[in-house]
Amino acid sequence: MSQTMLNKSGSAGFLNPKNRLTLTWVLFLLPALLVYLTFMAGPLFDSLRLSLYTGEGYNPTEFVGFQNYINLFTNPLWREKFINAFTNTCIFFAIHMLVQNTLGLLFANLLSTDFKGRNFFRTIIFAPATLSVLVVGFLWTLILNPQWGAVNKIFMAMDLKQFALPWLGRENLALPVISLTSVWQWVGMPTVMFLAGLMGISDELLEAARIDGASEWDIFWRIKFPLLKPVIGVVAILTFVDNFNAFDIIYAMAGAKGEPGYSTDLLATLFYRTGIAGEHPVGIPDMGMGAAIATMTFAILMTGVLSWLYFSRKQATE
Amino acid sequence: MRWNRLQLFFTYVVLTIWSVIVLFPIWTLLINSFKPQKQIFKDPFGLPDTFTLDGYREAWNTGRFDLYFINTIIVTVIALGLILFIGSMAAYALAKWKSPVASFLYVFFIAGLMIPIRLGTLDLVRLIKALNLQDTYWSLIPVYVAMGMPIATFVLTAFIKELPGEMFEAAKIDGASEWQVYSRIVLPLMRPAMATVAIFNMIKIWNDFWFPLVFIRAEESRTVALGVSLLFGQYRTDWTRALAVLSLAAVPMLILYVLLAREFIKGLTAGAVKG
Amino acid sequence: MQKKLFGLLSLLVLLSLALTACGGGAATEAPAEEPAATEEAPAATEEAPAATEAAAEEITLTLGSWRVDDVAAWEAINAAFHEKYPNITVKFDPTNPPDYNATLRTQLETGTGPDLYFVRSFATGRELFDAGYVASLKDLPGINDSFTEASRAPWATETGEPYAVPIIAVSHGVYYNKEIFAANGIEVPATWEELMAASQTLLDAGVIPFANGTKDAWDINEVVMMQFIPSNIGGFEGRMAYLNGDRCFNSEEMVASFQQIDDMQPYLPNGFEAVSYYDAAQLFAQGQAAMMMDGSWSIGAFEKDATDFEWGVFYPPALEGKDTYVTFHIDAAIGANAASPNLEAAMTFLEFLESSDFAGLLGNNLPGFFPLTKDVPTLSDPIAADFMAFNESAAGVDIRFVWEKLLAAPSGSVDAYTSLNNNVIAVLKDEKTPQEAADAFNADLAAWYEPAAGCK
Repeated sequence: MSQTMLNKSGSAGFLNPKNRLTLTWVLFLLPALLVYLTFMAGPLFDSLRLSLYTGEGYNPTEFVGFQNYINLFTNPLWREKFINAFTNTCIFFAIHMLVQNTLGLLFANLLSTDFKGRNFFRTIIFAPATLSVLVVGFLWTLILNPQWGAVNKIFMAMDLKQFALPWLGRENLALPVISLTSVWQWVGMPTVMFLAGLMGISDELLEAARIDGASEWDIFWRIKFPLLKPVIGVVAILTFVDNFNAFDIIYAMAGAKGEPGYSTDLLATLFYRTGIAGEHPVGIPDMGMGAAIATMTFAILMTGVLSWLYFSRKQATE
Repeated sequence: MRWNRLQLFFTYVVLTIWSVIVLFPIWTLLINSFKPQKQIFKDPFGLPDTFTLDGYREAWNTGRFDLYFINTIIVTVIALGLILFIGSMAAYALAKWKSPVASFLYVFFIAGLMIPIRLGTLDLVRLIKALNLQDTYWSLIPVYVAMGMPIATFVLTAFIKELPGEMFEAAKIDGASEWQVYSRIVLPLMRPAMATVAIFNMIKIWNDFWFPLVFIRAEESRTVALGVSLLFGQYRTDWTRALAVLSLAAVPMLILYVLLAREFIKGLTAGAVKG
Repeated sequence: MQKKLFGLLSLLVLLSLALTACGGGAATEAPAEEPAATEEAPAATEEAPAATEAAAEEITLTLGSWRVDDVAAWEAINAAFHEKYPNITVKFDPTNPPDYNATLRTQLETGTGPDLYFVRSFATGRELFDAGYVASLKDLPGINDSFTEASRAPWATETGEPYAVPIIAVSHGVYYNKEIFAANGIEVPATWEELMAASQTLLDAGVIPFANGTKDAWDINEVVMMQFIPSNIGGFEGRMAYLNGDRCFNSEEMVASFQQIDDMQPYLPNGFEAVSYYDAAQLFAQGQAAMMMDGSWSIGAFEKDATDFEWGVFYPPALEGKDTYVTFHIDAAIGANAASPNLEAAMTFLEFLESSDFAGLLGNNLPGFFPLTKDVPTLSDPIAADFMAFNESAAGVDIRFVWEKLLAAPSGSVDAYTSLNNNVIAVLKDEKTPQEAADAFNADLAAWYEPAAGCK
């Protein structure tokens, strides 16, 4: 083996096999690492550094240590904004986790059997994911419009006037409604991933269970669900990461302020308003504080992902 | 037998209800883009009484949508190609290199999933300017490739780790180099996982309007998402045009998707067939 | 076949490597130069000469703006300018309002900003001037003669050094459907009490009296609340009393303004919380609502959309026994990018903005946007002329209440705009009484604005 390796990588011929292998791996990693460092990690790291500075504009120069963080947690206004955004983000994530992924699992389970029209339904379920968030946000705003939106017209026609509500205007309704819009768009993602997982389960196993008289319900919980666990893990972590960074749908449906009354303000919109755009109508960004908010978001996500990696590895080795 | 029919009935009911929920808004979008403004408000969900193409004509004349599409396709295709190629190389090394460096780099790449990239905007604008790429769509490609690295390494590394190790050993005994193992064995096997990565990134790249917004001013370099967001702002009070603009952005993607849906879903789910 | 593909791909990788290698070097150098005042020319100006192959004097300037709706009008204005100065072409390049501040800022800080751009009034524009991104106009000929001091003030330092040419003011009023008014026997009301009585008549007749909603928040604040305040407090003098600490922000005049908001609530559309600004405009334009409080900038949109019925405007009448003061808000100015390589040409354009030619072009191409030059052109649009007439019949004219001094809240405190907006919406949602809302407004300001803390 070492003999052939020597021939294949002539330039590294002077190295011993172990170092040569290391060099090979480094070469494999190099392009990705260079692009990633230059165009993502570098700029991001440099920006996180800004959380220790204060000043107006995007390049604050006055070093203040941890003052931005102290303000974020001790100034009642900042603390209230941050906790509000954090809570909303958790709700937003929880709705996706529960509704989107449960629906995904249900659809995948239904689609994994063979029946007429299966391809049609599969195509439909994923279709909204190909639309832009801007399009989706705008469309649903039209449909949920209190005056001429379809949802309220349907409730009115069914003589259920009490359900014809200003869906996007009530503080307790707007966030769930926008979350469900986002679920509408993205439910195809977990569906497809679960479907891939389900198709990996051997038919003989399922047949054997059926012959033993197991109900579909039992088969799902006893066989499919345990075998799907690794996929569920991946879906969960992707849902977590995507939704803790969600911005576009709120921006499209409720504006950067998270109207009404900050009830749909997420960590990403709070960051955008604070660090990038500034609050209407003044619009002077406070990049230092924005970076502090982003760093906190990063810390939350990192904790979540690292603990997931830890547990999934532990599970894998057991 | 009866149970099976009940199950089939349930399947159809659930999927049909969901299909209606999915198709209805898309129907609303398309149908209203052919109606004059007044009719949109009086009867937002019926077929048009008077059929008009004004919205499309106006949008097409004001925005260079033909150009926007070509630009977006160029950017998306090149960025996706690079993401898949260099991402899969990196993932192969991360999966097979038994070293603390590899473990560290793995976490380092994944960390990129967790910070809003907007935070780095200012540094990126400076970088693009230093490369003299501002106001061209080339400026978007390196940023999108970098943005694609976390998800590519995350999905592909996990996938390669799952592949049975004997396969690699056998190839190496036959005298193949790591490069040959990667290009001849791993790459073809990775297709389904690559499809997942491609889809995730394609949706992100196609719809991104933030980076075009800050990198590009010139009309001839605009992307669809940027064109839509600008024209949409301009047409907020004119729903026929606004909906026409949105349809112009959505329909080609939908058609492309419907045409490729079978391949696409096959690609996404094929990986699992091996058991 | 496969080998070829890989050859191609490796070439791409090599290219991207070369690219990133350059990038890496540049990344470390770039920040050091920042914010150099003489950065490279924006690409738009580089391309134009190459494209036309003309003499070096051929100059293209970009004009950044948040007015995406006004593309056609600005193209006409720029064409007129080009006719006068054939070697200079101005390209109007707007960004959506919510993105404007952020993208402009990014471009200015990285030296890629437009040559000319719309500058927001007071604190926002001032901050750009202090940071060195807007050129000083103290040497621009004629600026002091063409505009009143009041018009220049929002874009000038304490010593009167101007940094942008004021171009537009906007007014506000109640758009009303004449046919609905006639059908219900309603005359244009002269007092607030009459307006409320008329609204009740309309409501009883099954018509939505006011189209306004609160989904977008800003409109209820800027085109409704800030129209009530001047008449209650007595215009400019009244406002100064608050700014100097001679009156508290929860004075009875302020409570009365919140009370007017509360009075209006039953006459807003069902589900007004989810009615956006554009929804409201449509409700009015479709003839479903009898009135809408809105800005003069909407004239054009209504002339296009509300074609099925006769409509007009009146100013929101004052409470009985009070004089009417009109909010005539000085809204936008154009400044020159201090780092523009074509600063001289940009100055030529700014000088053009002082001319009566420009004032006429602006006033007539953009009905509802009023030029600020001292010699006012005649406005051909009848509704725009009606808006101008408000100013003459009023006891006084002033800018919007919170703009001067009250926006610049330090980090961690609430500015007057946000506080007023939140409290207005709280009143509409029955979460606060007018008195509670005024008290909360006062408390928010007292936390950082010294005159408010020590008010009598």
